[in-house]
Amino acid sequence: MSSQNYTFMFIGFTVAWLIIIVYVISIALREKRLREELDRVKRMVEENEKAKR
Amino acid sequence: MRQKIILSLSVIAGLILSWDLYRIFLLVPDEANQGAIFRIIYFHVPAAITSFTGFYVAMFTAIGYLVTKNLRLDSIAASINEVSLAFASITLVTGSIWGHVIWGIWWTWDPRLTSYFVCLLIYFGYFMLRRAIDDPTARARLSAVLSIFACIDIVLVWKSIEWFRTQHPGPVLEIRGGGGMAPGMEAPLWWNFLALLMLSTALILIRTRQQDMKLEIDALRRHAHAF
Amino acid sequence: MKFLRRTLAIAAKDLRSEIRSKEAVNASVSFALVILLLFSFAFDLEPEQIRDIAGGLLWLIFAFAGTLILNRSFARELTNDCLDALLASPVSGAELFFGKCLANYVLMVIVECISLPVFAIFYNVRLPQRLALLFVVMLLGSWGITVIGTLFSAMTVNLRLRELMLPTLVYPMLVPALIGAIELTRTLIIGAPLAENLIWFRILIAFNVIFTILSLALVEIVLVG
Repeated sequence: MSSQNYTFMFIGFTVAWLIIIVYVISIALREKRLREELDRVKRMVEENEKAKR
Repeated sequence: MRQKIILSLSVIAGLILSWDLYRIFLLVPDEANQGAIFRIIYFHVPAAITSFTGFYVAMFTAIGYLVTKNLRLDSIAASINEVSLAFASITLVTGSIWGHVIWGIWWTWDPRLTSYFVCLLIYFGYFMLRRAIDDPTARARLSAVLSIFACIDIVLVWKSIEWFRTQHPGPVLEIRGGGGMAPGMEAPLWWNFLALLMLSTALILIRTRQQDMKLEIDALRRHAHAF
Repeated sequence: MKFLRRTLAIAAKDLRSEIRSKEAVNASVSFALVILLLFSFAFDLEPEQIRDIAGGLLWLIFAFAGTLILNRSFARELTNDCLDALLASPVSGAELFFGKCLANYVLMVIVECISLPVFAIFYNVRLPQRLALLFVVMLLGSWGITVIGTLFSAMTVNLRLRELMLPTLVYPMLVPALIGAIELTRTLIIGAPLAENLIWFRILIAFNVIFTILSLALVEIVLVG
């Protein structure tokens, strides 16, 4: 009982940390994607302005 | 400036969590009846309190949006709800694991787990609603109303499930062993809560900035396609 | 007074439209009958056990069938821009909402009154002698479902996945009202004394009062902005 207890305790802690880590990684990936998209759209706007002139 | 706040919050949170892990594993003795698994309370309860606090703070932020019409507040509210949802998931999963050790079943319809599950469903709906609306103003408006309804409903959900379960006692999981905790054992719990609060604030700040970036991208797109 | 007059006008319009087409009630009753049929395959229980779960079954049927009515509530105004016309009219958002609530409520109660005897026949459940009390519970529970359902119908009216979103949003919110209604119905059907279960009456009434007021206060924001 005791050793099973310890196993599950570690599983529990690991799962909790995993959820946090996966969430943080997903945030970081989203950050990268958003920055790229922002740069792309900004460039698109600049080119439109230049093309108009 | 903002980067520095985010970084320092994360670092301090990390330090507190590490220190607490050390304390939890090495200094706190095993609980008499439950053995080692009891330690999971040090994550389960702070995550629960953090997520609940988040949902209610988000509701007030959403009300702030309805009053001021500042879309920034909507970004903040959505970010808080998202981070709180993550912590609510942690609460459910750790509670489920605890239940499995104590009773050998992965899930039990006890009041707290059930109420949390309903809470989770309501906020899944919240994010489904947000994804389904393209117009930022409409999205902010409707999310705010849903947030208000959700937070008021959660109180009723909690109470009604509690009363239901006292009448139909199933395998009732008394997760909050906090009632009988010796003072020495209780401290890591509150430190963990502080750490999780700091961590969630850091995450909320990052997510809010990302929401603002998204708004900026949409605005630029509309500007580009208008000509 | 104007509030009441306008509200009743809206309710009358919806009911008249429904009486002429009978779409929602027919669909709802058919759906209720189908669920009753499917439940008969899902459960194969002794009469004692059926009486025990009758409350739950009944309210699940009411909730599922009711969604069909509630979904149409605001959706029917989308054709020919009727919704815009209504919003531009002197009728306020709260009056529009409350009128639709009343109409939906009447329709829901009609569907329930048809489903209840059918349920009793199919499952050999003897209806309690305190039938009036059962009716009161039905009225209270249905109002809770109607209020939340109508408000969320207004919220989701312009969304692509309207039919999907409405149940997803509404059912978790209805948990307190459904539990209260189920418990009271169960108590009445198995013949247990009601005095021990008065808490559920309080929860149902609290739920109805709180969310009616909240919906009336916020519906203008939902519809117009």
